[in-house]
Amino acid sequence: MFVRTQKNPPSQETVNAVQQALAAEHAAEWAYGLASAFLPSSADASIREGETSHRARRDAVERLLRDAGATPVPAEPAYQPPQPVTNQASAAGLLASAETDAASAWHGVLERSDEESLRRTALEGLTASAVRTARWRKMAGQTPTTTAFPGRQ
Amino acid sequence: MVSGHSSGHSRRGFLRAGLAGAVALPLSACTGEPTPDKPDPLEELAAQARSDAELAKAVATAHPSLAAKADAVAADRRAHHGAFEKELNRARPARVSATATPPPAPAPSAPQQASAALSALKEALTTGEKRAAELVPSLPKHRAGLVGSVAASCACLREVLA
Repeated sequence: MFVRTQKNPPSQETVNAVQQALAAEHAAEWAYGLASAFLPSSADASIREGETSHRARRDAVERLLRDAGATPVPAEPAYQPPQPVTNQASAAGLLASAETDAASAWHGVLERSDEESLRRTALEGLTASAVRTARWRKMAGQTPTTTAFPGRQ
Repeated sequence: MVSGHSSGHSRRGFLRAGLAGAVALPLSACTGEPTPDKPDPLEELAAQARSDAELAKAVATAHPSLAAKADAVAADRRAHHGAFEKELNRARPARVSATATPPPAPAPSAPQQASAALSALKEALTTGEKRAAELVPSLPKHRAGLVGSVAASCACLREVLA
């Protein structure tokens, strides 16, 4: 049969890419939990926005994987921050790094999927995490705050 | 359960197969690679990235208060233009000679008021993100990554200007 419908199950390559994106979303949720204790109240709205967004995306991706007959990867019991988190700059740096990872994982889904609605989901994930990366890099005092090709570097 | 009319993608692939008189057309026929008689959709994105970079440069020169932010926009949009050019030339090697001397587009000039200049830049980036995002669902995989990344970059640059 050469007529493909969108009901066809995604390829293993696509499922693997989506699982990696889910793993990055889990790690980001954990990072917000740790970092929030070190950030000033002026960052509260940004923290809430990031947490809510990652939680919603995680739920949507888990549903999507189950619908495809895959078992969603669970969150790890604990993660190792790339740098010790001890103050505002290192906490914002942790979030910038978690968001960079998530942007990269969603970019990976864009390059490993054909299905249009999954591509839209991946682009939303990439864009949202890229924008938050810039926000946290600024708070961490890292420059430049943006890169020309988010998710690709 | 398999039906021929549940997705636009399949329908396009099916029609093309009919036109070509072939039963099993390779799937690449509907992945958005340019064909000789159809302009490459990346041409428009490339032209827009270049025009945005020029606008940002003009704004940076005319409004010192905006220079740092506008320079960041100029640098990233110039990088987008370069990446699109590279992919366009890869996809159609004959293009290099055909477009070696493109007609010079009028360089965009910066609005006199700083606030208007800032709005013009934001608007350009909003359009840049929208055009790129619209293409992402239908592009071949390697292009979906590049164009999606450029859409995300435009959103970041707009945030920098906010």
